[in-house]
Amino acid sequence: MAAKLGNTLRLLRCVARRPVSCRRIFTTSYLRCEERPQFSGLKSDFTYKLSILDPDNEAGIPVYRVMNSHGEMTQDSEDPKIDKETVLKMYRDMTLLNSMDKILYESQRQGRISFYMTNYGEEATHIGSAAALHLEDLVFGQYREAGVLMWRGFSLDQFINQCYGNVEDMGKGRQMPVHYGSRDLHYVTISSPLATQMPQASGAAYAFKLKQNGKCVICYFGDGAASEGDAHAAFNFAATLDCPVIFFCRNNGYAISTPTSEQYRGDGIASRGSGYGMLTMRVDGNDVFAVYNVTKQAREICVKQNRPVLIEAMTYRVGHHSTSDDSSMYREKGEVVKFDTNNPIGRLRGYMARQGWWDDEDENKWREQCKKNVMEAFGKAEKRKKPSPVELFEDVYDEIPIHLQKQMDSLKEHLSKNGDKYPVQSHEVWS
Amino acid sequence: MAASAKTILRGFRRCGVLKGASRVTSLNIARAAHFTYVPDTPPTAYGDTTRMNLVQAINNTLDLTLATDPTAVLFGEDVAFGGVFRCSNELRDRYGTDRVFNTPLSEQGIVAFGIGLATAGSNAIAEIQFADYIFPAFDQITNEAAKFRYRTGNLFDCGKLTIRTPCGAVGHGALYHSQSPEAFFAHIPGIKVVIPRGPFQAKGLLMSCIRDDNPCIFFEPKILYRGAVEEVPTKDYTLPLSQAEVLLEGGDVTLVGWGTQVHVLLEVAKIAQETLGVSCEVIDLRTILPWDTETIAKSVVKTGRLLVAHEAPHTMGFAAEIAATVQSECFLNLEAPVERVCGYDTPFPHVFEPFYIPDKWKCVEGIKKLVNY
Repeated sequence: MAAKLGNTLRLLRCVARRPVSCRRIFTTSYLRCEERPQFSGLKSDFTYKLSILDPDNEAGIPVYRVMNSHGEMTQDSEDPKIDKETVLKMYRDMTLLNSMDKILYESQRQGRISFYMTNYGEEATHIGSAAALHLEDLVFGQYREAGVLMWRGFSLDQFINQCYGNVEDMGKGRQMPVHYGSRDLHYVTISSPLATQMPQASGAAYAFKLKQNGKCVICYFGDGAASEGDAHAAFNFAATLDCPVIFFCRNNGYAISTPTSEQYRGDGIASRGSGYGMLTMRVDGNDVFAVYNVTKQAREICVKQNRPVLIEAMTYRVGHHSTSDDSSMYREKGEVVKFDTNNPIGRLRGYMARQGWWDDEDENKWREQCKKNVMEAFGKAEKRKKPSPVELFEDVYDEIPIHLQKQMDSLKEHLSKNGDKYPVQSHEVWS
Repeated sequence: MAASAKTILRGFRRCGVLKGASRVTSLNIARAAHFTYVPDTPPTAYGDTTRMNLVQAINNTLDLTLATDPTAVLFGEDVAFGGVFRCSNELRDRYGTDRVFNTPLSEQGIVAFGIGLATAGSNAIAEIQFADYIFPAFDQITNEAAKFRYRTGNLFDCGKLTIRTPCGAVGHGALYHSQSPEAFFAHIPGIKVVIPRGPFQAKGLLMSCIRDDNPCIFFEPKILYRGAVEEVPTKDYTLPLSQAEVLLEGGDVTLVGWGTQVHVLLEVAKIAQETLGVSCEVIDLRTILPWDTETIAKSVVKTGRLLVAHEAPHTMGFAAEIAATVQSECFLNLEAPVERVCGYDTPFPHVFEPFYIPDKWKCVEGIKKLVNY
């Protein structure tokens, strides 16, 4: 039956292609209209065979990589041929971040800072992408992207001051540790609610498009955050409103204790891209050069075509979720070890050794230097006072409204009588 | 299911608005009127005036903003063709599809998109089609917009964000086309919440919101969109935020309201004078957050009695905040407990609307309680 119908349709299609006026042959015209779906918002054909699109039958989106786990370039044409100095900076930033993570993680264990989140295993996603961007491109992050800031020149002092919430913290000690931000480095301050930054990034990108300033926006998020409604809004707004934004997903296998098998059932995050009409790439997140290549490509698409791009970087969260988490409660030790041996730092080091740019002596010297620099910044940050309590009330609005002024005055008066019951000594004087 | 119901409702109301909008709407207002609109008289200082309804006043404000501020953009659901209430009528044609545009149907997306625009230097004017549908954006408003400047240590801010949204009873809006959610937002440090009582106020206050360097939510009482008509200055002007306005001076009772309820209270004052011989002082609060404590307290110090009325439910409505503050500021002056005449603690009903709203008769009873205490 279906075959017969198909033949008839083919015949009619032939008839229809002849230069015959539709008005004269009404039935042909009618069938011509029926030949292709006229529903708005579709570009598909009719099918006369019931078929179900089964994602299980689809091959997964391949993972793009440039070098293997020993740091050997697998295909010369894909070699970004980054100069020695830049590669050394990539390596130094990744390892410095690693050293800072170790020391700040330990300091939290000792109760010296209240909270910390390490970046173990994901250093290449930060550095590879940051290196491919322009400094003026605006970054919206989640919280595990400290390497991007490091690449852009955020100093150890600035990182550690924020974690201590001391007078030198640009955030004025108001947010939890690792909620970094820098206006000079075009890095929008991190906030805890997941995925909220995503549709904001789309909006910022739209503003850039209107200004025609040649900049793009990059927005980092984890595979867990991608389940939030805001992720959906962000993708759809960026696509329909033609925003020059790169969505960079760090798919590290876990959202705290939740493995990706409980996070989604599709082919990761990348498979969602085409559903929104976005150009999409999946990359080996432990390969800093592959990450660099895809981000560079994405940036070009953004600024030249005003189109969003989705990048999914496959990686593994080597460390605990945060200092408030013990990941041995929900994953096997062997699993972590397996991924740690394929870590991004080792791979880049392999590459550098092969180039003759780095040897064991360089490594030892650099590691010592890192440790020394972090400890120095740490010591300074710890000694600094916290900001004056007046900062509790500033910046709620651009100016302090009357009711808030009254509350501020009442705290000041309260402290004048009860100062001995508060840690006033560790804060700057309320002038 | 919930989503599809919402879509059906939207389709329904769009049809209603599109087909003979003015006739249908004015008919509905006539049927449902629980107030008599009292036109404002704009001060002569603002120059030439034109008769405008609330929709036209909003449209005019947006028009002036887009004309004078090249960074200003206007967006939301269905704003491109003019908006379901016609507030953005003709603006796309005048300023281009890049500056006046539709977004996908997602309130959390709209507000967040606006925050991003504002952060990157645009003057973002977002529309939420009905205040009832602002809740999907609650997280973006309370956790993001309101805290942006504070948490970044003033490195970044989204002060150039204004969210406009129609609110309040409309005669037949039932649960999801009638809400007055201002009290939810009054509990959020970092934002400003503003409600005008008519076209002249709307233009001046909206202009202030758009220019204010803090994220603002501007609630537009939709029952006034077409029903409220008055002379509005054609030029650019602003009215101050966080300042209440004394509309009628009196010596016995202070009446405080905002939005449509101000017109109810003006009539109540008249009835109270005529039937009870009670002299009422009527105050339009105008800004819910940060609100003008001083003007209210000064009035209560004089009258010794306070009645606050709002359409939103009683428990934890904004009247509670006013009552608590006034009793603390004016304890020795109060002659009677503060009276609150509000919506009941129920969802906003369809056929029971005439029984639900805090109409003039309920307010008059409230005044009797105050003076007979």
